[in-house]
This record gives sequence, structure tokens and C-alpha cells, in this order.
Amino acid sequence: MRAAARPGRRLVLALLALAALAFGALLFGRYPQPGFMDPADLASDAMARNVVLLIRLPRVLAALLLGATLGAAGCAFQLIFANPLVDAGFLGVSQGASFGAALALVLGFGSLGLFGSAFAGAVLALALSVFLAARIRFGGAVLRLVLSGIAVSALFSAAVALIKYGADPRKELPEISYWMMGGLSGATWATLGMASAPALVAVAYLSLTRFRLAILSLDEATASTLGARPSLERGLALAAAALGVAAVSAMAGAVSWVGLIVPHAARLALGTDSSPTVPGSAILGAGFVVLADAVARGLFPGELPLGVVTAFLGTGAFVFLLLGRRVRVERG
Amino acid sequence: MIEFANASYRYKGEPRLAVDGLSLRALPGRVLALLGPNGSGKSTALGMAAGWLKPCSGTVSREGRAAFLPQSERLAFSFTCCEYVTFGRAPHLPYLGVPGGRERELALRALDSVGMGAFAKKRITALSGGELQLVRLARALVQDSAWVILDEPTDMLDPAHVAAVGAVVRDMARAGKGVLVSTHDLYFALASADDAALIKAGRLLSHGPTAATLEPGRLSELYGVTFELRQVPAPVNG
Repeated sequence: MRAAARPGRRLVLALLALAALAFGALLFGRYPQPGFMDPADLASDAMARNVVLLIRLPRVLAALLLGATLGAAGCAFQLIFANPLVDAGFLGVSQGASFGAALALVLGFGSLGLFGSAFAGAVLALALSVFLAARIRFGGAVLRLVLSGIAVSALFSAAVALIKYGADPRKELPEISYWMMGGLSGATWATLGMASAPALVAVAYLSLTRFRLAILSLDEATASTLGARPSLERGLALAAAALGVAAVSAMAGAVSWVGLIVPHAARLALGTDSSPTVPGSAILGAGFVVLADAVARGLFPGELPLGVVTAFLGTGAFVFLLLGRRVRVERG
Repeated sequence: MIEFANASYRYKGEPRLAVDGLSLRALPGRVLALLGPNGSGKSTALGMAAGWLKPCSGTVSREGRAAFLPQSERLAFSFTCCEYVTFGRAPHLPYLGVPGGRERELALRALDSVGMGAFAKKRITALSGGELQLVRLARALVQDSAWVILDEPTDMLDPAHVAAVGAVVRDMARAGKGVLVSTHDLYFALASADDAALIKAGRLLSHGPTAATLEPGRLSELYGVTFELRQVPAPVNG
């Protein structure tokens, strides 16, 4: 069927565009001069080679991983919660990661300790959300998760505020603030290696189960008679998505808007059918973060926080989509 | 056959039984309509027949798989009608399966058979209530199950769409499927159902051929208001 083949071709085109963008991002920066490096410099200039291989390559790979995970997880969260206005940080994952990172910074942990603590905070927040949802005695499973996610997010936000209040204002407080703005300046091969496994597993699982995720967007009774086991399948998908987000948040801090805006762009570019939307969100998310990170590190002499750049670009795109009636919040 | 044998169901925290000792049979190739006041237990009985509610006492047995359409459905995303109908193929696909050309072909055929073939690429959220109901019936058809269970499928539809839904339901029975349907629409029940069962406060009041069962005396007892026979215009193709 032609209508179904077209999104497939668009996905391939999007992948090729992503590869070109990532290659361009490797050459973009402020060495040897602001802008793009001549590829010939890689052969003739040892410093240029080192900048690309040791600094820009892990960073571009980290941007790809971060964007793909936030995009796919955001799309999965929107389908599971049947709500196009939730994002990958739902269930307190982002706030939990921020709490873990803030704690690690005031305790003086190194970069690996910071990663581990942020990851543990994100997983703790997820576990608390699920634990609390299971004990709420009213509403359906989705409503209970939404309510418990709001409560846990608020709890960890308050805990972060408390840590910031007690932090050394000359050293720890700015460190916590910068970390919470999100960024890949601290991305190394080591943190990339640690985040890769959970993030790639999450993206692969969510892409493979894309048809089941679309069925979970229908109500419980309908999904059951379509052969789904809603509680089990929702739980598996949420666990995969949240662990992926926890891993990349531990690596890059709180990078907002990607998980919310990218699935809308994917639906716009590839159609609303579920088959291309989840992998499409991963590809577009990766492209968006690579682009935002290139802007963050290369546009001005000093580096901008990535989370600030994604927030500016994301809100701009969101307003554009809203005014163009491209964001569809349907009945139900 | 679907058989309710003294089946009861109680919702958690509710003092009274929603369905109380129901004994009833639905047969393949026939349409059985459940009628009764709001809250009488029709949807609960359908939920037990579909298998997503388990009776607290008695049994409900069913031979073969069932497709179930609840009264309304959460539609948060604008899937195309074609993809929405392919959701009906989910029980036939492995866990990681994604519908391919064959599933889409079956979905298009099902849309054609309910007269909605031209809507395949239209967004599901852009349809009128009547069009949506026909597309949902196409999803039930594509499930290729022995039973189709419909909860108030003509709710808020205009007479033309009621007739169209009725025609699809009759086609399903002619194809050998058993259809179990709850409704408040007496015209729809008379035009489409072979048998009718009247349910009041979770209990079976009466059961038999539709025309004989839906007589004014029994309906008056069922709904608590007086019924009398009147001639009303009705579409003829239902």
C-alpha cells in the first residue's frame, strides 16, 4: 500500500539526514576557527584530529543517544498515558536524577559517582511513583500513575531545593544549577559507555513494541480484547522508557522539551500511525539534540547550557506547531 | 455458544450484585440483544462474556474468541482508519509483530464491507459518531473471531447510521458469528436481533424471540413506565 510505504521511505531519509547532521556536527565548533573545520585538516593537523576524536566524537554520540532515548521514551509515554502532552520526565524520573546529582555534588563525588547517584535517584523516583500508584484506591491505572508521578516529582523538587539551600553558594550551588540546566560538556567515553546499555535497550524495546504501545493508548477493556495484557505490557514499556531516561539524564542532566516536542514533529513528518512514530521520534530526537548541542557549544565563545538551548528551540517549535494547529490534543 | 450459568458479579466496594444469578445462552449465527434500564447489569454481563470480568459466583463459558466493542473508547491520537482497523489483527500477531501488507489488505476489505472503504486514510478523530461506529465494527470484523460483543453500538446515532450498524450486525450473523449486543434502542433490537433478553437489577426478567419478548407489558415491567404499541416511521434497510 502506497500510504504505508511512504513513512518507511521517510524514515530511511531521516536516518540519512541524521548521519549527515552528525558528521557535520563533528566538523563544527570553534577549532581551528569558529564554524566548520575543513575535513582535510583531520589528515594534516594532529590537534584537529584529537579535538574531533577525543572531544567531539563522544559528545556527538552522547547527543545522539540522549536525543534518541528522550524522543522514543517521550513518544512511548504519550501513547501509554494516552496523552500527547506528557514527556519522558514523567513519573519523577528527571527530578529524581536531579536529586541524585545534587546530592553527589554536595558530597564531592567524581564524575562516575555523579552518574551513579543521578541514575539511582531517577530509579528511586520511578520506584516510588509505581509504589505509590499501587496504593491509591481510586481511578484507573493510568490516572493513579499520573497522580503519583506528580507527587513524587514535587517531593524530589523540594528535596533538590533543600540541598541547594544548604549548599556552598560559591562552589556547590553553581555546580548544581549548571548540572540542572543540562549539558554534554562532561560527556566522556566512560559516562557514554555506562549510559549506552540501558538507553539502547530502551530505544530498541520501544521501537520493537510500537504496535503494542499504540494498542495501549486505547482503553483497558479494548486493549484486553485485542489480546494485550495491559498491566504487564504497560509496566514493561514504562520500565524500559524510564530506565533509558534515567541513564541519559544521569549523563546529561535535565534536558527538557525533547520528549514532549519531538513525538509531535514525528507525527507531523511521518503521519500519526504508530509504526513509524516511535522509531521516527528516536531519529528526530537524536537530530534535534545533535543540532542543539552544536548550537550550545559552537555558536558563541562560551558554551551555552544544552537544556537552555533545547528549551528555547522546543518552546519555539511548540508555539509554531500550536499556532499552525499541528499539535492535536484529541477527545477522550 | 456463550453460556451464563447462574453467573453473578459484584464490583469492589459495592454492596449489591451488578449481575445476580444470570442464566442465559447465546448461539452462533444469531444476534442476542440485552435490554434493560441504565445500571441493570447489561455492560457487566457483556464484560463477563468478553472475558475481562470474572464472575464472583457461577460461570460464564464461551466457545471461540470474542471481539468486544465498549460503548465508547479513548481516542487520544489521530490514527488513520486503516491503522485503527489493523489493531483488530493484534490477537493474530506475535508480541513483537507489526501489521504488514496482509493485515492492511484485510483492514481495507473490512472497511469496504461496512461501507467505509473511502475513509481508509482519514483520521479516526475526524469522523462523525456514526462513521466512527462503522469503523469500529470493521475493527471487530477484522479480528475474525467467533463472537462479536457490542455495548450499545447505536448510542447517539442518527436513524441512517442505526440502520447501517444493524445491517452490519445482520451480515455478521449470516456469516456464522454469534453477536451479543446491549441496547436501549427498541427499533434496532427488533430490526437486528433474533432473540432478546430483558435484564432488571442484574436479574433475567424474560428471554425469547425478539418480537415476542419486546411486548408492551414486559417492557412496562422492565422500565417502570407504561408502553403501548404505536406506529412510527422506520428506515427499511436495517
